Amino acid sequence: MIVQTQVGVGVLALPYDLHVIARQDGWISLLISGVILQIVLIALWLVAKMFPQKDFYQLNTELFTKWGGKIVSFLYVLYFIAVGMLILLLFGRMISMWVLPNTPFWVLTLLLISVGVYLANSGLVVIARFYTMVSGLLLILFLLMLYSMKEMNVMYLLPVWEAGTGKIMKGVQEATLSFFGFFIILILYSRVEGKANEKLRTILYAHWFTLFFYLFAVIVSYTFFSTEEMKVVPEPLLYMLKSFEFPLVARIDLFFISIWMVSVATSYTTYLYISGLGLKSIFNTKKAAMFNWIVGGASFIIAIFIGFDMDILEKMKSLTVNAGYGFSIFFPFILLAFSFIIRKFKKTGGAAE
Amino acid sequence: MGFFKRLFFGDHKRLHDRQLSDNAEEVKYPSSTKLEDNVNYLLEEFHNSSDLKVRIMKKGNSALIYFESLVDKGKLYDSIFTPLEEGKIEGVNDIPIAKVTYNLEEAIDSLLRGHAVHMEDGSRLISQFAVTASFNRAVDEPINERIVRGAHSGFVENLLININLIRKRIEHRDLTVKYYKFGKYTDTNVALIYVEGIADPELLAEVDRRLISISSDMVHSPGYVGEFIEDNTFSPFPQMLNTERPDRVVGNLMEGRVAIMSEGSPTTLIAPSTFFMFYQAPDDYNMRWWAGTFIRLIRLTSFIIAVGLPAFYIAIVSFHFEVIPDDLVLQVKSSINNIAYPPILEALVMVVIIELIREAGIRLPQPIGQTIGIVGGLVIGDAVVRAGLVSNLMIIVVALTAIASFVVPSNEFSTILRLLTFPLIVLAGTLGFIGIIFGFLMILVHLTKLESFGTPYLSPVAPLTIKDLKDTFIRVPIYMMKERPKDSRAIKKEAQGESREWKHNEQSTQFTKPKTDDLPGASSSGSDGEVN
Repeated sequence: MIVQTQVGVGVLALPYDLHVIARQDGWISLLISGVILQIVLIALWLVAKMFPQKDFYQLNTELFTKWGGKIVSFLYVLYFIAVGMLILLLFGRMISMWVLPNTPFWVLTLLLISVGVYLANSGLVVIARFYTMVSGLLLILFLLMLYSMKEMNVMYLLPVWEAGTGKIMKGVQEATLSFFGFFIILILYSRVEGKANEKLRTILYAHWFTLFFYLFAVIVSYTFFSTEEMKVVPEPLLYMLKSFEFPLVARIDLFFISIWMVSVATSYTTYLYISGLGLKSIFNTKKAAMFNWIVGGASFIIAIFIGFDMDILEKMKSLTVNAGYGFSIFFPFILLAFSFIIRKFKKTGGAAE
Repeated sequence: MGFFKRLFFGDHKRLHDRQLSDNAEEVKYPSSTKLEDNVNYLLEEFHNSSDLKVRIMKKGNSALIYFESLVDKGKLYDSIFTPLEEGKIEGVNDIPIAKVTYNLEEAIDSLLRGHAVHMEDGSRLISQFAVTASFNRAVDEPINERIVRGAHSGFVENLLININLIRKRIEHRDLTVKYYKFGKYTDTNVALIYVEGIADPELLAEVDRRLISISSDMVHSPGYVGEFIEDNTFSPFPQMLNTERPDRVVGNLMEGRVAIMSEGSPTTLIAPSTFFMFYQAPDDYNMRWWAGTFIRLIRLTSFIIAVGLPAFYIAIVSFHFEVIPDDLVLQVKSSINNIAYPPILEALVMVVIIELIREAGIRLPQPIGQTIGIVGGLVIGDAVVRAGLVSNLMIIVVALTAIASFVVPSNEFSTILRLLTFPLIVLAGTLGFIGIIFGFLMILVHLTKLESFGTPYLSPVAPLTIKDLKDTFIRVPIYMMKERPKDSRAIKKEAQGESREWKHNEQSTQFTKPKTDDLPGASSSGSDGEVN
């Protein structure tokens, strides 16, 4: 499930974004960021382990008093909605660029939102089942990429470390973005059955799978296009697949996009679900479905408003990204510290009694 | 027939016993000692219906009442009149098979069931004789679920015969039948059948709870029962498998599911059912397992073809022409170039025409039905292409779709498949591949969401139970299906032990003596498997 959330919009554009910064050493950045995030993941796991009964939003109220917790939760909901919006916008842009140039933007977003709301309303169990089922599709994406390996040229990866450490570290920042989905483990932790260690194992497996998947995508596209070519192709995977022709079908990239859309839909649904869940716990009601509709409707309106405006899109992207750093990377450590303190406090309190 | 008769009588008696004990506490309309009052009461209750016969005997001292439309005259004479005439016995009360009551309401019930009722002046005793006439057809193979190899018997309209067919196949004390009475007017007997000790008690309680809440004037077919108790009535997908095959019912009972049958219909409902159950056929288990797997894969592919092929075609020709390889582009283009209408209109028209032909063919008598098929399929199909209304590629696509939808072993499911084609065609016509993907996503989400009596509809795929995939996409050899599938929620997990132990024994004992001929399975797979 985490895998599905992570592999979202990112996978298509990631190689390019990485390349802009770190040139052919982008894959090193990716690897480093994967390792760093592992630490964050473990931190998250530690927090979640301490409060196994509570989901993230309840945890907030626990740690930062009632209103403080609600404010924090609300900020998070806003952040999740923003990420969801970003997915919507990127998706709309991608589809209109590659497949349906003449279709109005609102139709595409409406489709995605309706699927998302429908799925999010069915509850976590159904979402999880659905994700497990469609993760089989990743295999197809994987095979398609595997096919293109026959054209690869490892020489393009050389010379290693050419970009320099500073550039690579900048690439790390960029790469971290694509992993932001991991945050949902904190929210879903309490709702999944199993032992703490098993859960950690699952989380790490999922993380490494995603990392591997990205790495594969990046390496394949780097080796397919030369360093100079990479500068001009914003979605290298698609361009790469476009060049192939199978005896049965000519444009394999269209199929790639179709399958990729499923990934996007699932990752959008996750954000929709968790923001709906957050609103639900902020307002203390049981009507999650209503909030899903509200979130969906709100993002629809804003998405139409923004439309294909690249400037706003870029601004929003960078805003979300920066917020993402705060929310997904630094905050877990704050959480961890807080929960340690509170735990100690409680322990001493308990001893005093 | 003697056997059936015994079964009949036996079961009716049991029903009676239950009712007797139910009514023992308070008798609403006790019979009177005056014969006239009793007879008048009965006549009045039946509104002097013309087929209610009152036969006065013993010079007006006793009366035999029955519905001439319900009783078997032969039985009536054999069991009542002949013994009396021959003077073997003193009176009607000495006839051994009589059951007695003092309740006129019960007499009404038993009259409606086709019994004859005998009353005597000066006595409150009412004797009832089971002389019901039943008209049954033979237990022929159901025409909508034919198979090549395996049992060829099917259910009939008589509930007792149907239960008999099941009991003959499961001769075990744990096979349990529970009767329910539904329909205030029709008073239909509905039987809930399960195997105690395999079926989940929670499931039984749930089915029972839902069945009891049925309140309707008429329950005349399993379709009624189905719509009353299924989880989601707005879903296009049937959530209970219905079948007319005893072997299929027995197989499912032994997996821990329950069967619901009703009097007057050969169709049996099976719950809980999953999506993949609709794609299993009894044939699969009679073939070599390679062949069974192959055919099952073909069936599952047919799901995708039936739902998605027209949409896919439309998406390609109207949006993504670039998907077609270079060598094919010219042919495709030339075939659709001269068509005046957009592909989506073409497809909708053709799909509707196929539905028309099918529907017309079903209702008409066999010979005319075939004529319709030929006229509709061949003549119209050919003419429509020549007239330039529809491209010949579209004909191929639509015909393939229709055929694929008929591959599903369940009739109602195939109708649903063809129904689902329409929204996908519209989506493909407006949004191309994107539309199709979203359509499929919606269907998939819906399927994942759907539950049948607490069992996820798409299990064992979502939630994934790898062990249970042995009987969905593939069919592994039967001796490997050691455990019951999880989706039926059977409480007894193990279904069979080591059934091929002999092979190990053989190898170990005859180790020193090599055999020349092959072991079974090594050589015969080819020839047997190709029967179909």
